[in-house]
Amino acid sequence: PLPPDGAVPRYKPPATETNPALEDPTPDYMNLLGMVFSMCGLMLKLKWCAWIAVYCSFISFANSRSSEDTKQMMSSFMLSISAVVMSYLQNPQPMSPPW
Amino acid sequence: MKNLYIFIAVLFIPWSFSVAKYDEFEDGDDIMEYDDNDFAEFEDVSEDAVTESPQRIITTEDDEEEATVELEGQDENQEDFDDADAQEGDTESEPYDDEEFEGYEEKPDASPSKNKDPITIVNVPAHLQNSWESYYMEILMVTGLLAYIMNYIIGKNKNNRLAHAWFNTHRELLESNFALVGDDGTNKEATSTGKLNQENEHIYNLWCSGRVCCEGMLIQLKFLKRQDLLNVLARMMRPASDQVQIKVTMNDEDMDTYVFAVGTRKALVRLQKEMQDLSEFCSDKPKSGAKYGLPDSLAILSEMGEVTEGMMDAKMIHFLTHYADKIESVQFSDQFSGPKLMQEEGQLTKLPETKKTLLFTFNVPGSGNTSPKDMESLLPLMSMVIYSIDKAKKFRLNREGKQKADKNRARVEENFLKLTHVQRQEAAQSRREEKKRAEKERIMNEEDPEKQRRLEEAALRREQKKLEKKQMKMKQIKVKAM
Repeated sequence: PLPPDGAVPRYKPPATETNPALEDPTPDYMNLLGMVFSMCGLMLKLKWCAWIAVYCSFISFANSRSSEDTKQMMSSFMLSISAVVMSYLQNPQPMSPPW
Repeated sequence: MKNLYIFIAVLFIPWSFSVAKYDEFEDGDDIMEYDDNDFAEFEDVSEDAVTESPQRIITTEDDEEEATVELEGQDENQEDFDDADAQEGDTESEPYDDEEFEGYEEKPDASPSKNKDPITIVNVPAHLQNSWESYYMEILMVTGLLAYIMNYIIGKNKNNRLAHAWFNTHRELLESNFALVGDDGTNKEATSTGKLNQENEHIYNLWCSGRVCCEGMLIQLKFLKRQDLLNVLARMMRPASDQVQIKVTMNDEDMDTYVFAVGTRKALVRLQKEMQDLSEFCSDKPKSGAKYGLPDSLAILSEMGEVTEGMMDAKMIHFLTHYADKIESVQFSDQFSGPKLMQEEGQLTKLPETKKTLLFTFNVPGSGNTSPKDMESLLPLMSMVIYSIDKAKKFRLNREGKQKADKNRARVEENFLKLTHVQRQEAAQSRREEKKRAEKERIMNEEDPEKQRRLEEAALRREQKKLEKKQMKMKQIKVKAM
């Protein structure tokens, strides 16, 4: 190997990313949006809100960083699924397009 | 982006409220009409039993058929009604006066309106049908979700394959140059894991260390977010490419003091705005590198001309010209402290910490549609990185250059101090006040009256001394002014 080590090789795992949250806020925003939509869907009994909430939580999961804990992801996911289920239990009619 | 999300969320909430109310009314009205028309239908059936009953039976039997059939049935009904009423009106109105006509005019008017009501009934049963077709929106949604999941799996695997392809091609070179390749941060000892560290579905890290003159090298493979369908769709509008970012931290004694950058013009303009060190030390706009034989796409930003001269030796130029399409930016800096921090006014009391670093950003060829084979073409770029490390170590400014560099740094520090002068004054003042308060408290808390007296005297003496010093200074200044 070329490099003669003058000193002890310093390993020092990098303190990577001092601000990972600043660089890509997508998963956090999607999490928040998902929760807002699922609450809307539950309270106002709007099916399309609940479906959008499911999508938001999926997007948030896909963009998540490994440092983020899975509990938050799972909680938002469960909340959106419950919003969809509750909307259909209360009103089994199919969703009508808003246009 | 952030504002857009908030705006959309805020918009949706009142809109959904209005839609919700509309839905309630609509359902209510439909139900009402249905009830009325239920009875109305029965009334009509009793009057014209012969003509209506066969069609009614047909419609009730064909409940499962599409709405159009019912509509047609209703239309025929309406026509029959009209004909029947017209006939009735004609036959009955002949022997009567005009007054009777008015009554009968109302009747044809009333019955068409009654005939119109049955048409609105038709809409409601379409929703109550228990066929799968009426659930088309739900099926659409579920299909969308499935497509998203499929894309997630495919994208994740592709990123994984790309990362490992890169690592396999570069492993040899790295292992020959660095003693430690790959580190988790979890082991207490310095053993190389020989594996990439996956931070995300699209970001892979690799930490190499154990070479003379550099503290370590962090390689980040920043792939495109292939696992997110939204991102994939957005990329169809705006092509982007995977990036390999390499950050080499140099030892303090191994690099001289200069700031220098090479890269595409767009990238340099952006870096100059964002990066603390480039914006402070390199005041000029990026210059074209044509003087040194670089292609037009590349530009140079440097602290002083001498640095450029020293950096642009034959081998470097060779590297830069051959791989110009893959190079996004190359930055050598001894005052690297990351991007400019947006701080509030009251907080900036110290210059951010600087580290001597070399930064390289390479674009993977293929602009999104990369295959693992493209990773091989990045291998020469890694050799360039290693060559640059050695070069940075060897390159030393001569005396003039060093003086200029030191002057620049002093200038930057002065500016910074001026900016924060007011804040530092305030901070010092507050500290002094706090000290006084602490002393007074101690004096008050002393139970022994004698000690109290002594402490008070000591404080008084200190204050007198300070006043005397100030007076001396004022006298000196006055003398100098004279």
